[in-house]
Amino acid sequence: MPFSAHDLRYHAEQSYPLLYAYLHRNAQRFLGSLKYDAFEVDTVIGHVVEQLVRLGLLGGGDHTPHAALDQLSDAQFYAFLNRSVRNKAIDRLRKRRLQVNTAAELEMADDDDSDNSPLNDAVESLWGATPFSTPEEITLHVTSQNELRSVLKHCIMVLSAAPNQLQAVMKELHEIGADELFEDIADELQLSLAGDPNPHISQHKDHAHKKLRHCLQQQSSHLTVMVALRITLYTKHSADKKDYSVEMSSLTQTDLSISDVEQGLHGLVTEGLLSWDGEEIVHLTAAQMKRLARFYKED
Amino acid sequence: MSDDTVTGGDAPMHGDYTKLAQWLQSVLLPSDQDEPAILTQKNDTQLELVLTDDYHQPFYQQLPDFALAMLSGDPLATIHYTPLLYHLVACRPCHAAYLDFYDSLRYALHNQDYRQQFIQGTRTLSGTPHRMLAHLCQSLISQAEALLRQAHHDHSDNDEAARSLLQMALQVSSHITQNSLRRQALQDLVRVATLFDGPTSPRTEESNVYSYSPVMASAGVLRRGGRGGQHADDVLRAQRMQSAIIHLQARNLEGFIVQQDDMLELHLQHLDAALHEKQVVISVLLGSLLEPIRWFGGNPDAIRSTQAVDEQGTLVMPIGTTDLRLSNPEERNLLEALFLILEVRTAN
Repeated sequence: MPFSAHDLRYHAEQSYPLLYAYLHRNAQRFLGSLKYDAFEVDTVIGHVVEQLVRLGLLGGGDHTPHAALDQLSDAQFYAFLNRSVRNKAIDRLRKRRLQVNTAAELEMADDDDSDNSPLNDAVESLWGATPFSTPEEITLHVTSQNELRSVLKHCIMVLSAAPNQLQAVMKELHEIGADELFEDIADELQLSLAGDPNPHISQHKDHAHKKLRHCLQQQSSHLTVMVALRITLYTKHSADKKDYSVEMSSLTQTDLSISDVEQGLHGLVTEGLLSWDGEEIVHLTAAQMKRLARFYKED
Repeated sequence: MSDDTVTGGDAPMHGDYTKLAQWLQSVLLPSDQDEPAILTQKNDTQLELVLTDDYHQPFYQQLPDFALAMLSGDPLATIHYTPLLYHLVACRPCHAAYLDFYDSLRYALHNQDYRQQFIQGTRTLSGTPHRMLAHLCQSLISQAEALLRQAHHDHSDNDEAARSLLQMALQVSSHITQNSLRRQALQDLVRVATLFDGPTSPRTEESNVYSYSPVMASAGVLRRGGRGGQHADDVLRAQRMQSAIIHLQARNLEGFIVQQDDMLELHLQHLDAALHEKQVVISVLLGSLLEPIRWFGGNPDAIRSTQAVDEQGTLVMPIGTTDLRLSNPEERNLLEALFLILEVRTAN
């Protein structure tokens, strides 16, 4: 009797013995020379079990939303588990400093399944590299994409509530030659780096970095920027041509909920970029529109 | 909407953002994160949870969706998951988990006809290695803790999800026969269960409150029944009798819980003189986690004794009824877990 992702989600107690048996078999298969080391086998199984619990799948019921693993066919789900076991087994083999060639190790395994063939590694190379395989790759991506860089811009702007911290970050931007970003923010906030150097700049810099770390990972920052970008794209002149307006439905598009848009709008109100009090149609003055467009509009 | 077409990997980059990227990385990556903690096991003899302090529930649970969006070539993937992308720079364990999920999902998508192997082995929890049941319990309890802490942080409510995980941990633990392993499986249960009302300071024992916990019946205690030439039948009977009782201990005081038909009866002995001739209130801290016990008074946090403690410091009081049986080993384990903390205090 096989089990599925659905079984693990809704019938965890009944499915766990089968999950264990499946993982155990594969862990032994991929652990090669460590296959009889009970601790290593347990470690590999425990890793996958913990992953499934942490994802909200194993025992998650309806308390966690259905996600990628729920969309897989049963065959794909088994393949996913199999690969997770293999990856952890290789980690353990490496950790034990065995001079193991992964392919050779797999070749030696006592199962003749096709997925156990070293040819898989050759096929794997055809799939291409993993995107965002290093933090460097991610930071290069987020800084070179306008929408993602706008979040960084937004978070630096938020520092304006603490002028010394803002100044410390602006000084850094100036020093590394991030001229475009520096000028955008300096223009918007009418800042200048002229003046005596702040003796506590290092301390201010540390505090600023901490705030930036927090702000950049916040969904609210992301929504504020998304909504700002959409306002610049979808806002039209109102009937009397005196100001601008945009309907909420234009801001949601297909991927944001009304509450997401409301959260974004509240963010812009907090920053003083907008006057909005829950109306279905968002109105902007010409000055507000100009300011938003200057700062957030696509390059 | 983009000023370049990068979707990660080996796509070409336009413009020189390298220095800004390097600076951003230095901002996001705290200096103490030199080694990926997720890949290191602290203890190489005992199976431990890997993700504890490094588990960031809202981000971690997005990882497979993000990986799948990337694998599906969704051009808006990085825009939809912007906070996650920034988080992946700041958190090495989550980044390592992303790489793992991406690889496994890619393999799964390229193996639509993956041949499912025949699964041999046990179909029951009791037949599954109990150390792995203990690990599952610890995972479930730790996850419940993460949900409760996240809910507190977000001012949201995850109580039902956390309660469900703790209930499952209790049910699974009841299949672990070895007392010490069962104790280990549930070692964080009381601490996590107290988080339902928000994080509190560590529990301290108040001087006027007697806090009882179950005493594990050791093999030695059971074997003692066999001394003096008794027959094996007598030993087995003694073991059965022992197992149908939950022994409790608080400091130097002892007590026990027995069952009369459906009724659970609490026996306390040698209570302090300050409690003599007074009524007491019993609080079963985990009593609301499972429903099978119908507590007298309806509230397991405040079960009031109908009689006063006698002059010898003895109190016998019914505390509730249940269909579970202390004579059934698994049901006994479940009941014992519910009584991990039983507090006795003077009724006002």
